[in-house]
Amino acid sequence: MGGGSRALRRGILAAVFVPMLVVAACTSSQPAGPGAQAVGAPVSGGTVTIPIVADPTLNPWSPNAFVESVFVNRVLFDGLTKPGKDLAPAPDLAASWTTSADGLSWTFKLREGVKWSDGQPFTSADVAFTFNDIVLKPELGAQNRGNFSAVKSVTAVDATTVRFDLSRKFSALTSYLAYNSGIVPKHVLSADPLKTTTFNKGIPVSTGPFKVEKYTSGQSVSLVRNENYFGAKPYLDKVVFTVVPDANTQIAQALAGDVSIMILDDKAAVARVKSANNLAVVSRPLVQYYWLALNQTDPRFTDVRVRQAFVQAIDRQAIIKSVELGYGSVANSAITPALKAYFDPSLSTRYPYDPQKAKDLLAAAGWTPGAGGVLMKEGKPFQFTMDVGQKGVLEPVNALIQQDLKKIGVVADLNTMEWNSYIQKVVVRRDYTASVNWWVYPSDPDVSPYYASSAAGKGFNIPGYQDAKLDDLLIQGQGASDLEARKAVYKQLQTYMADTLPYLFLWYPDEVDVLSSSLQGVPELGLRDAMHYIGEWWLAKK
Amino acid sequence: MVVGEEVGRFLAQRIAAGALVVVFVSALTFFFVNLSPGGPSSVMRFDVTAEQRATLIHNMGLDRPVPERYIAWLGGAVRGDLGTSLLTDEPVASRIGDRLPNTIVLAGTALGLSLLIGIPMGVIQALRRNSWLDHALTFASALGLSVPVFWLGIVLILVFAVNLHLLPSAGVVSVGSDSIGDRLAHLVLPCLVLASTILPTIVRYTRSAMIEVLTQEYIRTATAKGLAPRIVLYVHALRNAFIPVTSAVGALVPRLLGGTVVTEAVFGWPGMGRLALEAANGRDYPLVVGIAVVVAAIAVASSLAVDVLYARLDPRVRLA
Repeated sequence: MGGGSRALRRGILAAVFVPMLVVAACTSSQPAGPGAQAVGAPVSGGTVTIPIVADPTLNPWSPNAFVESVFVNRVLFDGLTKPGKDLAPAPDLAASWTTSADGLSWTFKLREGVKWSDGQPFTSADVAFTFNDIVLKPELGAQNRGNFSAVKSVTAVDATTVRFDLSRKFSALTSYLAYNSGIVPKHVLSADPLKTTTFNKGIPVSTGPFKVEKYTSGQSVSLVRNENYFGAKPYLDKVVFTVVPDANTQIAQALAGDVSIMILDDKAAVARVKSANNLAVVSRPLVQYYWLALNQTDPRFTDVRVRQAFVQAIDRQAIIKSVELGYGSVANSAITPALKAYFDPSLSTRYPYDPQKAKDLLAAAGWTPGAGGVLMKEGKPFQFTMDVGQKGVLEPVNALIQQDLKKIGVVADLNTMEWNSYIQKVVVRRDYTASVNWWVYPSDPDVSPYYASSAAGKGFNIPGYQDAKLDDLLIQGQGASDLEARKAVYKQLQTYMADTLPYLFLWYPDEVDVLSSSLQGVPELGLRDAMHYIGEWWLAKK
Repeated sequence: MVVGEEVGRFLAQRIAAGALVVVFVSALTFFFVNLSPGGPSSVMRFDVTAEQRATLIHNMGLDRPVPERYIAWLGGAVRGDLGTSLLTDEPVASRIGDRLPNTIVLAGTALGLSLLIGIPMGVIQALRRNSWLDHALTFASALGLSVPVFWLGIVLILVFAVNLHLLPSAGVVSVGSDSIGDRLAHLVLPCLVLASTILPTIVRYTRSAMIEVLTQEYIRTATAKGLAPRIVLYVHALRNAFIPVTSAVGALVPRLLGGTVVTEAVFGWPGMGRLALEAANGRDYPLVVGIAVVVAAIAVASSLAVDVLYARLDPRVRLA
């Protein structure tokens, strides 16, 4: 399925849904929001159905655990910590933790009496196994191992105590442990930690509130209550993940009442879904931001005035309105509003849309209008190629940016590519000049992996921006142990990022979730984070 | 049994030639897919470091030259081992084996339905050539050929599942159910959509073949001899009209399998078409090659079946 057909399909979706919307608007009453009806106390029972786009891989460390796996794995595999409802790290399998004075040794006290779903006791040996024998083993290439580059080793001190020894200060450790870092059972996976298919694609042994009952490839994965779960007994009887690859079919399923909750990626369908009286629509902030990377190996983009000019030439508010239907806000740093404790809202007005200002900045940088209004410097026009990956909203966003740049005399040619080939060109080979994409990251302001000079070219530092002062701030953040100290460093970091624009920050998207009006108790988090709280979800009786 | 021997030799030759075709397809697919841009999804993701990427490529054996890998693959394939899926670490043969029955059910019923509707429609059009009915059905066929499958699929889901609540929206069976009725209800919409991709072709072939046969002299002779029109039509005309229709059906089988790719994706049907799409998007090289081999084998077998059927229908054709 090429991107041409994807764009076509978006158009067709509108053609199909819009006329039906008109009919529906005449017949349905206002939708009930979640909690709009008096719901009373939670009741037990019922099945929740969640669509995912492909078969999940039930092992958080498998390199094949993609986004569809995240939904299921966050229910099955508890980590030492989990994101709290404020996104700060909260206890999960670890009941408490302490840090040594030098910040290089963290000791976690594990919850007592936890059992695996097969009845075996969960111990510190499982934690040590997960890290020492999977994450820290370079020859396995485990998913997310890059998040734990500061961890030297993990020691089981006694049955319910583990110690993480670090090579450098890493105050974000507990946030990173809350991010797709579920503990897996040593007694099942010691022979082949990442490729045991009876586990990854079958019935894994897990610690979460639900366990796998049946895995039917290409169809569904159904979960039932884990009777050995250490926490409060969940309200739901069952959780069923149905494999539905087509986004339009997922929406149709929601309209037919076959879905309990899902993320609505195509915001063009929001109006149609809102008009259905069995569904509620909510929006949630995410730890995600879109960016335009300008390759720093291109000398035109190393001039900060050029980057500042571009960010003011791009009408980011218009992009949010057009492709996100208003669900989002303008970004000027890597720290998103979802990280409430750290986010600096005062930066939101840092770069208003101002094409004239952009032209002035470019003129100051030596770019002056030539024939046809195209900016010239040293006899060469300001022209370059933007590589576009076919995914989500990237194609329309690039088209809008292209138009905005044209208005200030900059020619951007779009080179649209299939996603997998795009990644190879832009991310693996770094063979690109400019490209738009996004980052989703653990709920912590420590964004070093995406900005550190050491990550330029080979890590996640896509533009290859290198700046000693930025590095220094990132290291200060990793060393700041208490919240107030961290807040202070990350406020400085945000201002510095907004000034220097290592990436051109575009916008912070909000997630739109569609949920059945009978589904209650889902916390106000992005759906992937809300999966950690599925034990609290419940279904109102109709 | 000279004839039997001839047929046996013919079949042996055709099967040998078919095997060669399948090997050729496997080689072509193997080289193309490995040389195409991109790589397995586990490697081509944003959140993988260069170090992890190198490790994973080495672990998957993708740092070895393509010809060397192909020879190793072929060595396994002749012993029935189609390799290991890069996306799931499961054997390719078992992944295909899981999905193939679902595709056979879907494609088989769609083909059956198309023949059941298409042949009578074609015959009626031929008999009432240039009537308003003929024109209306021709128009409907043209419409059927030009409607995109995914659009038709979504519209049918919206009408029958969302608005009328008559049929399930997607999947092969409801979770936790295993009744035949439930399975049949799930089959209706995808079967209709897939049938729509080949039905117009069958109607057109039947119509033109029937028109052609009806102008033949032996039909006039049969009618002149005073045979009942029904006998002329069903015994003489239709049997001969089936000959070109049969060869058309043989050619439609690959198109039908191609149609399953989109149909299965729209309806969440767990078949081989969807598997092919996942395999191609995720650059699961062994799985792509395995599916290509299975599809090639089906196409070769169906063309052989058509030839055999052809010889039975048309006494002028000899299998030799």
